[in-house]
Amino acid sequence: MTRSTQGWTLDTLKHELTRRELVKGWIVSQEHVHRRERYFMLDGPTLVTDQDREVRSQSIHAKIFVRLGKPGRQGEISKKLFPSLPLGPQLDSAIEAALQTDHQAWSLPESLPKDVPQVTTTDPRMAEDLERVMGELTGKIGIAVARRRATVFNSAELFLSVHDHETHLSNGLVHRSSQSRIYSEAAYSYSRRGNDGRMLSDEYLNTRWAVNLDDIAIEQLFDETSERAEHSLDVTKPRTGRYPVIVDADVLAALFASQLTQLSSMNAYHGLPFVKPGDELVPKATGDLLTITLDPTVPYGADTAALSEHGLVQSPFRLVDSNRVIATATDKRFADYLSVAPTTVRGNIVVAPGTLSQAELAKQGPQVIEILQFSGLFVDANSGTFGSEIRLARLHDNERKTITYLKGGSLSGSFRENFRGARLSSRAVKRAHFSSGGSTGEGYFGPEFALLSDVSIVG
Amino acid sequence: MEIQRAPFSPELKGLRQTLRQELLPILQAQPDWYASIFFERKASKTYSANLKQTQVTDQVIQGAVLRIYDGTTLFEQATDELDPGALKSFALEFARRVKETAPPAGATRRPYQALNWSQRVAAAKLDPELLIQIPSGTRADTQVHFGIRFRHDPRLLGASEALERLKGLLGRIKAKASEIGFPQEDLTFITARQTFVDEQSIFIDRETDMSQTLYRVALTLITMSGSDRTFARLGGLGGLETLEVKESDIETLLRDLKGLKKAERLVPGKYPVIFGPVPTGVLAHEAFGHSQEGDTCARGRSKAWELHQSGEKVGNEHATILNNPAIYEMAGEPYAAWGSYFFDEEGWLAHEQVLLERGVLKTPMTNLTSAIRLGVPRTANGKRENWSTGVYTRQTNTYFSPGDQTLAQLLARMKDGFIALHPAGGMEDPKGMGIQVGLSFLEEVRNGKPTGRLFKGPAGGDIQLTGYTPDVLNSIVAKSKIDADTDAPDRSRHPFNDAGGCGKYHKEFVFAGCGGPYLLLDQVILG
Repeated sequence: MTRSTQGWTLDTLKHELTRRELVKGWIVSQEHVHRRERYFMLDGPTLVTDQDREVRSQSIHAKIFVRLGKPGRQGEISKKLFPSLPLGPQLDSAIEAALQTDHQAWSLPESLPKDVPQVTTTDPRMAEDLERVMGELTGKIGIAVARRRATVFNSAELFLSVHDHETHLSNGLVHRSSQSRIYSEAAYSYSRRGNDGRMLSDEYLNTRWAVNLDDIAIEQLFDETSERAEHSLDVTKPRTGRYPVIVDADVLAALFASQLTQLSSMNAYHGLPFVKPGDELVPKATGDLLTITLDPTVPYGADTAALSEHGLVQSPFRLVDSNRVIATATDKRFADYLSVAPTTVRGNIVVAPGTLSQAELAKQGPQVIEILQFSGLFVDANSGTFGSEIRLARLHDNERKTITYLKGGSLSGSFRENFRGARLSSRAVKRAHFSSGGSTGEGYFGPEFALLSDVSIVG
Repeated sequence: MEIQRAPFSPELKGLRQTLRQELLPILQAQPDWYASIFFERKASKTYSANLKQTQVTDQVIQGAVLRIYDGTTLFEQATDELDPGALKSFALEFARRVKETAPPAGATRRPYQALNWSQRVAAAKLDPELLIQIPSGTRADTQVHFGIRFRHDPRLLGASEALERLKGLLGRIKAKASEIGFPQEDLTFITARQTFVDEQSIFIDRETDMSQTLYRVALTLITMSGSDRTFARLGGLGGLETLEVKESDIETLLRDLKGLKKAERLVPGKYPVIFGPVPTGVLAHEAFGHSQEGDTCARGRSKAWELHQSGEKVGNEHATILNNPAIYEMAGEPYAAWGSYFFDEEGWLAHEQVLLERGVLKTPMTNLTSAIRLGVPRTANGKRENWSTGVYTRQTNTYFSPGDQTLAQLLARMKDGFIALHPAGGMEDPKGMGIQVGLSFLEEVRNGKPTGRLFKGPAGGDIQLTGYTPDVLNSIVAKSKIDADTDAPDRSRHPFNDAGGCGKYHKEFVFAGCGGPYLLLDQVILG
């Protein structure tokens, strides 16, 4: 929909950009967002809504490319435009600022995409009636909270949104898309009296993002949160040493997303850490060899998209095959910079699963630590290192045949070192994540668990 | 250079009138509703330069939040459609939504009444910098404006001048690299990025009509060699005077990068360590910053609330932590700390608050609903990521109080150990009382002198300080003065607070300052 606005329309904007001689190209995007949010907590025994919010927003962004009169160079600016303000002065100031910048020249594709694939990105129930879905999920939360448990419900949050997006390129492309997003969190605490008579308490917070309502099971999320909270006091600190460590899909999604920057032409161009085709992703790997594909077609994936920002058709694209890097993700800009062909750059990270069950992974050593939750996983995309305090973990002692819970201490890892002997679980799961202000999400479809080797733990 | 105050933007005058005269009455349709309106506009210009290109981004985030608290729930309706007619329809639709939503049976009603100016000013001890901007005889319909002080007007800096300045910085870094024997080919990536944000906000309720303008200025320098990276960050609220890059800043950046290339890996264990002002701030922020956020307490998710009520000590006599959005100059610098403002996004005036005093927990920071639910005083900590996101209790500038030692005295007292100057994130654990403070690297100290030998984490990345929060706070041996390089009396009342950010668990990013003196910690877990 080319929405009619107060002062000017997208058609007016496109016309104005086209007639300005200094402008060599542009990408205009418009987004309408409808959000509903509720924050739940207890008031005595009663479940109450602490905050109840509705948000409606619209925005128009323009990326404008200008001629500098210098061979092989161009100016650029990214600017938000307001339909309520006169268009001319907004464009004048944008072009003036763009003229002060200096980029290597590149251009949008000359031809328009044919046979744009149909992708599934929006839950139809949310697109149709967000308010009704909010009501239904609120009801499910009420039922989950009312269930008798050994734990105490502390709080929950439920955010729903539908994002309608429209892109117009100077090469004539017009593309419309939408996406639904769901965020839910639950926190439960558990308390009991300690041996010294003092009250002990701890909690477990669980969060989940999804694109489709069927991918976010409220009851399961609340049950798992409560169950883990119940173990939060039966914990000891880990003993300092090096262990095989099981991490789950949430951690794997963050680690792979970070590692993929090293497989991008952007890193190659800027001289940032880069693993080129032909190299091993994990040097001297001996475990399950990684096969990684960017797949923009996964139904309801967080980064499912038909076209890239530059208007190129996106299709499944293998980057790593059995640990061997075979391609570099390259958008049209960096393709022009590096004189190579552009590739798929959008897509959910699809990692081929392994052969072992979760139970089998937990038996791959005399003592295996299974991370249930990190406090805050910090990943360095440049070095591939990562670390966090351990919020809750299980120690599988296969000699004593016991499973005990751990809390505290920290883990330090390195993608290149600790994935060397990694084993992957046979079951694949889907994960989604959306960052604050991010226009696209991070999608993962791959092993539910991985066993990393020889990981440093300090207790 | 004459000191000026940031003015209220004239083009927002009409909108302000619409909000007060047209919208507020609609939101006050029921006598027991507490209605308020918050508007914000953040207009940012970001300039960057690296070895390959220069870049400009020009963004504006603006929107209005209509709010009704009905005694049980805080309802909000937010939009960036600011046409008066559209806003009025939006407000009517919102009031209807609230009216149709019945509070759940069994919920306790806790109504709230707006405070008038006399009550607001009397509610807390306010900084003179704030008080002098409130006209005498202020009434409900008086438009009160607060403006941040500045010397060099950041609005006057154009794209051309800003980019030239950044390119100049890249040149200085390359020149300094040659000077200290850092091979140019090893300097694989350099970037300089400068941001200026003109932040305008308006808060209106039955008794108040106020606005504030903050100028947020920041500069980040990053140097890389392969996967090793160092960075410097300058910034504050004020003018371009916040961004003076000294030769010593550039030299430190490069010497650290050189050191990182041959850094060793730390053997995990317990060590004595001196935290510089910024890691000290992160420790304060994660220790009894997050767990002293009132909404976390009201949700039953913080141990601090239980410990405050029991009075149990959670740290030694050095463990005093403050939160203060009213830091308008600090550590000898003429500009305001990064997390400062004059009022929060729910219209509460900024003031200093002690969160932990010599190991004893005080009442928590609050936003409107958490103060009402907990029955504790309101503080100016109602913040949101932007107009479109929800309000939570959030930290502003969180820091340890200063001590009486110089840095040299702390080093001599530690004798052998490490010094940590660069943080790398952190994470709270309010209920479990764990703590995580990330450190980019450590420098070895032998016989009270830094040796220049750097250490990375056990896997070659960041180092994490972890532990049980009371144990960490009981391990503080001594604290430095604010002016840690001299034994002369401190010139400033507030220690340095760095320009940083904060997430509430894993989302809702807001600006936050964190700082304090140097801290000597004994036998903390590093790995």
